[in-house]
Order: sequence, then structure tokens, then C-alpha cells
Amino acid sequence: MKTAVMPGGSTDILAIANIPILWILAIGVFGAIILQSVIYMRAAQKAGPSANISQAELKTSFRAGAVAAIGPSLAVVLVSVALLTLFGTPAVLVRIGLVGSAATESASASLAAATMDATLGGPDYTQAVFVVAFMAMSMSGAMWMIATLALTPLLKRGDSKLRHVNPALMAIVPAAALIGAFASLGIAELGKTPVHIITVIVSALVMGICLFLAKTLSAAWLREWGLGIAILVGLAVAYFAHTAGLAPAAA
Amino acid sequence: MSFTATAEQTAAVDQFDRTTSRWGRITMIIALVFSLAAPIYLVLFTDLGITSGMIWTAFFAVAAAFFVLWFVEPITYYPVLGPAAMYQAFMIGNIANKLLPSALVAQAAVGAKAGTKRGEFSALMAICGAAMVHVFSMLLFVGVLGTWLVSIIPTDIVDVARLYIFPSIIGAVLVQLIVTMKQPRVTVIAVVVAVVVLFVLVPAVPALAKPATGIVVLLTAVLAWFLRSRNSDAAAVQEHPGI
Repeated sequence: MKTAVMPGGSTDILAIANIPILWILAIGVFGAIILQSVIYMRAAQKAGPSANISQAELKTSFRAGAVAAIGPSLAVVLVSVALLTLFGTPAVLVRIGLVGSAATESASASLAAATMDATLGGPDYTQAVFVVAFMAMSMSGAMWMIATLALTPLLKRGDSKLRHVNPALMAIVPAAALIGAFASLGIAELGKTPVHIITVIVSALVMGICLFLAKTLSAAWLREWGLGIAILVGLAVAYFAHTAGLAPAAA
Repeated sequence: MSFTATAEQTAAVDQFDRTTSRWGRITMIIALVFSLAAPIYLVLFTDLGITSGMIWTAFFAVAAAFFVLWFVEPITYYPVLGPAAMYQAFMIGNIANKLLPSALVAQAAVGAKAGTKRGEFSALMAICGAAMVHVFSMLLFVGVLGTWLVSIIPTDIVDVARLYIFPSIIGAVLVQLIVTMKQPRVTVIAVVVAVVVLFVLVPAVPALAKPATGIVVLLTAVLAWFLRSRNSDAAAVQEHPGI
């Protein structure tokens, strides 16, 4: 391991991840979303009668959407809290809570950390590694938004080229890219310490059980909460395995 | 429905389309700038010895895994969301598991069909409602309570949690993805390719360790395409789990 003298060598992530300016910028993203919703709602209220929808129906729609979002939102909250020590609150609020998701952002961060010869959350996960990972995942998230900004007007115009992309291609290649990326990251964990191996397997099993129960008991909420439950059980098992001495003395 | 739009009504709806498109884009660009400003600030104003080379290397490693999705997700969701909600959805996230169900529930509540203007307005209001609940619960439960919770948990637990958070996420995510996608052939190809690349190719050629995930993604995509089941092409375009 590199000495702590080199710049960026400190592993105290939260010392830089929770600084006030990052909070302000995170609140800025929330502000943009609130502003957007307010403008949209006023526009909808104004044009509602012309779209054959009454003010009461608009209000009902708003309320129905809000109530339906409570469960899924709290599920995201649970996963976000688990990631706080890795990225700090402002980065978690923006990347996990809003633009991205726990899956894509932690995958991005893990890939980025690997390019610096570090493991996400490991003893070599220094401030510098965190900043590079945060930058890389933010750039990737920005590409999603840039693609949306660029493609939406084209799709609105009914761009024939985009609408006639081979449906088989649209079904297979993205699925393959997604499963390939996450299979690679998941299987890579199997090459690490015994505790890593146990944790991956437990996490996968818990999700499998949640999805199975969700189907057999038709309990849709288990599908939403599956990730949060798997993380908690995975971490608990990891904690016992780690303290039982299954991890190598110091990485 | 025997509803014929008058010129006045069409004008009002056009005005709505213009307002939501213009402000949807403006607010999305504001969010984009704020979300990039945070890491840029850390890169520029902390003395951690970060070079642009490090950032681009990291970005390309991430891009190799996700660049297909940058473009495919917006195209996939457009027909369901419509132009106005596109700018909401790709800022708020959790489209498949939160925003779409919210929109469907709202449309059912007021008896509006998807694809009509009524349906579009109902979905838009529902997404606004979902956005407000989400923004509020993130700020309160993660921003305030979560930060406090982490500060009171003993440090040895926090340290262990940080060490194993990634494996405890990735196992579940992989299973969820495989079950939702229902593409057994692609799954088998991906797992075989990943095992071969990670445990045969990389040990033999250590230089390939860093781009390993990119190689797995590329090989899986190419193999999945050439080994696809030809008779199920028609049944393509399945739902996309916005993970």
C-alpha cells in the first residue's frame, strides 16, 4: 500500500465528501426538480380544460402519484443510507437518490476505483480515489441527461431513423450490455477474500428469496425492498464473517 | 370519446407543449450543471494530485460498461413518457419502479387512457406528485436522519460496512437484473464470458485487468447478437428495468 504521505492518501472520505459547498450544489439539483414540477403543474392547470381534464382530476392524479411513490421512495432511502459512508451525503443524494441509481452508480464507482488500482471501500479507497470515482460517475450520469436532451426533440419530431431501429437489436444489445457489466462486476468479487465471496452469495440469495416470495405471495413491495433487505443481510453476515477472522490480516 | 378540439383548445395544448419543452430542458440543464459542479469543485480545489489522465481513464472504464444505455434508455422510454415527462424522468430516476407505476395508478384513478392528452396530463401530474414525495423523503430521511445515523454508528461497524457494501449490492443487483430481463440465453453468455475473461484471460494477460469489464460487455453484446434465438425476434422489445 502507498504511504500516507502522498497527496490524496487519506482515507477519511467524509472529511471532503460532506463539505458545505457540496451540500449547496446538491440542494441546487433538488431545487431544479422542484422548480420543474411547479412549472409543469401550472402549465397543466392552465391547459387542462383544453386537454379535457378537470382541475379536480389533475389534483387526484397528483395525489395518486404521490401516494404510489411512498413505498419505492423509502426503499431508495434505505439503500442510500447504506451508501453514505462510501460517498458522503451530498453525492448520495444526487447520484443515488436522483439522477442515477444504487446499481449503476456503485458499479461506476467500482470501475473507476479499479482504474486507480483501488477497491471501492477498501483500505486503498483514498480521498483521491473517491474524487475520481465521483467525477467519473457524474460524467456518466451527465451523458444520460445529454442523451435525453439531444434525443427527445428528435423523437418528438418522429425521427424515422430512431423509430426504425431493429427491435431485436434494441432488445438484445442493451440487455447483453447490462447483464455483461453486472455479471463481470459480481463475478470479480468472487476473486477477492472469503468474506467478499460469502457476502456476494448471501446478497444474491436474499434477493432471489425476495423475488420468489414477491411472486408466490404476490407481494410487489418485496420487489422494491429486495435490494435494501439484501444489503442489510449481506452486511450483517459480512460483519460476523469479518470479525470471525475470515478476512486476511490487513490488505 | 366524442371530443373534437377547437382551434382555441389546440392552441392551449400547443402552448403547454412549448412551456414544458422549454422549461423541461432549462431545468434539466440546471440540474446537469449543478451535478457536475460538485465533483469538478473537488478536483480543482482539493490538493489531492488528481490529473486529467486519471479522470479520463476512469470515465472510459465506466463508459465502456454503460454507453449503450445512455442512448437506449431515452429511446425506450419515450413512447411511454412523452416529451414533457422525459425531462422529469431522467432527472428523478427510478423510472421503471416508481415513476411509471405512479403514472399508471393516476391514469386509472381518473379513468384516462395512455396515449391521449388526458392520459399525458394525468401522468405528468402523477410524476410531479412522485417527485415531491421523493425529494422530500430523500432530504429528510437521507440528508438529515441518515447523516445523523451514520454519525452515531460505532466506527468499527462503519468500517466493515464500507469494506463490504459493494459485494452486498452487486450480488442482489445481478440476480434482480437476470430475473427481470428474462433473457436466459444472454445471461448464460454473460456469465461464461465473465468467468473466462476474469479468471483465464486476465491472469494470462495482466494488462487487460483494467478494461476487463469493458471487454466482457463488448464480447457479451457481440455473442448475444450472433447467438440470438432467431424465432423470438418478433417478441422483442421487452420492458426495461431502469436500474
